[in-house]
Amino acid sequence: MANVDFRAVTKSFGAFTALHGLDLSIKSGEFVALLGPSGCGKTTTLRMLAGLEFPTTGDIIIGDRRVNDLAPGERDIAMVFQSYALYPHMTVAENMAYPLKKRGVPKADRGPMVAKTAEMLHLTALLDRKPKQLSGGQQQRVALGRALIRDPKVFLLDEPLSNLDAKLRSQLRAELIELHRRLGRTMVYVTHDQLEAMTMADRIAIMEGGNLQQFAPPAEVYARPANRFVAGFIGTPGMTLIDGALVQDQGRWLFEGDGLRLDVPALVAGASAGPAAFGIRPEDVHIGRGDLQGEIVLTEATGHETIVTVALSAAVRVVARVPGTPSLRIGERVPVGLDAACAHIFAAGPHGVRLNHPSGAAGADETDNIAAPLRVASKGVVS
Amino acid sequence: MPAPIQSPLERRYARLGLLLIAPTVLIFCAVIIYPLVSAIYLSLFRVFTPTLESSWVGLSNYRELLASGVFWKALWNTLIWTAGTLTLQIVLGIGMALVLHQNIWFRSLARSLILFPYFISTVVAVLVWKWVFNDLYGILNHLLMRGGIIDMPIDYLGSMPNAMISVILVGAWKYFPFVVIAVLARLQTIPEPLYEAARIDGAGPIARFFDVTLPQLRDVLVVIIMLRAIWDFKEFDLIWLLTGGGPSSSTETLPIVVYRQAFALNQMGMAAAWAVSMMAILLVFMIVYIRRTREKETA
Repeated sequence: MANVDFRAVTKSFGAFTALHGLDLSIKSGEFVALLGPSGCGKTTTLRMLAGLEFPTTGDIIIGDRRVNDLAPGERDIAMVFQSYALYPHMTVAENMAYPLKKRGVPKADRGPMVAKTAEMLHLTALLDRKPKQLSGGQQQRVALGRALIRDPKVFLLDEPLSNLDAKLRSQLRAELIELHRRLGRTMVYVTHDQLEAMTMADRIAIMEGGNLQQFAPPAEVYARPANRFVAGFIGTPGMTLIDGALVQDQGRWLFEGDGLRLDVPALVAGASAGPAAFGIRPEDVHIGRGDLQGEIVLTEATGHETIVTVALSAAVRVVARVPGTPSLRIGERVPVGLDAACAHIFAAGPHGVRLNHPSGAAGADETDNIAAPLRVASKGVVS
Repeated sequence: MPAPIQSPLERRYARLGLLLIAPTVLIFCAVIIYPLVSAIYLSLFRVFTPTLESSWVGLSNYRELLASGVFWKALWNTLIWTAGTLTLQIVLGIGMALVLHQNIWFRSLARSLILFPYFISTVVAVLVWKWVFNDLYGILNHLLMRGGIIDMPIDYLGSMPNAMISVILVGAWKYFPFVVIAVLARLQTIPEPLYEAARIDGAGPIARFFDVTLPQLRDVLVVIIMLRAIWDFKEFDLIWLLTGGGPSSSTETLPIVVYRQAFALNQMGMAAAWAVSMMAILLVFMIVYIRRTREKETA
């Protein structure tokens, strides 16, 4: 078990810079997800931690050791690949024993270790099979077993579930959470799937364009996105973002845009009037009550809830989450309420920073206290 | 057994299928089956090549052949030549393929140049090598003596075991590009994560070769070895042109004896008996090859 530190790590491939001065501190025993769209630098970050790529500048620390100049095999890490990367000519048992063999563990000791790991992953019956005789889920469990058997300091997982079907994915997700809880090892998990990151990680590092956008627990990332990119990226359906401007009217802050005039929550010190974006999550939009009027343009019923898109004006559409399957007709005009206390205000631009305090919190410094209860709540609303 | 054909449509397709493969079957019979049967038939006669005058002798050609030391000596030579040149081809071929698989700046040029020995006509190649090996004017002796490695010129083609070694070396040089190309094609399909996983598991370069590369090459190597073994076993022109089977008969392989019997000794019947015996030995290779490919298909 060990902490992992990235200190001002930059990675360039020729003229292209994949990572711009990454600073990231992962605590010992923590489960951290690196989340972001394709090409955001998350896989590059993981591969540098594994030793498969070399940082252009900066230091990578595992435990208290700078590992920049250590080969992958010397870093005491284990990695699970998206493609599983099982050795096709070896049996399950041989695959799992391979890292032990390469580290000089005596043959007599390998057997019991393989048996123990196989039992933990329900692979005992499959030990004599070759990888191609296994299903995708079984192969992924063997890959996990090969990583687990050695008890390394850090586990690296590179989109390990993305080749599996939805049902297996949720099953293995639960198994991974359970495994992390039981082993308490440091895990770094790369994914582009926010559901995986939100449900599994202690903290999520959201990356985009080679920059770290936010590094916080899932609940905080959801409730208090640090900037407009994170706000738009996290949450399904996504946060509605309306461009406009912050104005001050008789000492009161208001948001104006596309004919709307909206109350805004408490702003951080130093916020000034000018271009800004107003964000609101679907669960904070109320249909059937409120002082705005809107026309229903789309309803998507999923059974336990209905996602309703409402046009407030020709240019502004907001998305609302309504429980159950209410009888709403397309074209119907309904009252709409936006819960101002839960709104998010961002500075202008695609990465505009957050300008207001989180809902229900008096100040930015108290967010750690609200993270835990909120995290439970957020699992219900992210899908 | 295929399921019995039932519907009229299936029967129509089956008739069309027969019609479509009929030309192939006819050509196959004309150019493979007929000559094969003729050769076996011919081997039961004593035939004088220039006049094709023949008389039935039954199996006496075979009796004579198996009783003579020449057959066993030639078979032994053939096996030494095949094993020697094939081993070198495989080792050189894999080594060169590994080099050309690396990201080196002259890779594309080297990949084309490496095919040169394989493309060049055997006659031309042998002429060049004969000059290289020439004991009086050859560049090899010249360089070795210049370098102080030898004091006296070496007779590469006129003495043993030099002649067999030279033939094996030229054979390896001529045919290893085939191995390079086949192995290189396979190398490019080995997934990179396998190597990365091995590196993380603590495997060094040599362990990665034996634990990842070689097992992945296994299937293609089996096919290459079978094919090259068959082709090397019946190699004629390279050896004939280089040594003519000499000195005396020390590089005389089975195909050379067949040629001599037919056109130097004018014993076409005997030559056919030699050729059929050779085919019987090759049949062993063929059966192994067919077994392997069939296993692959059913796997």
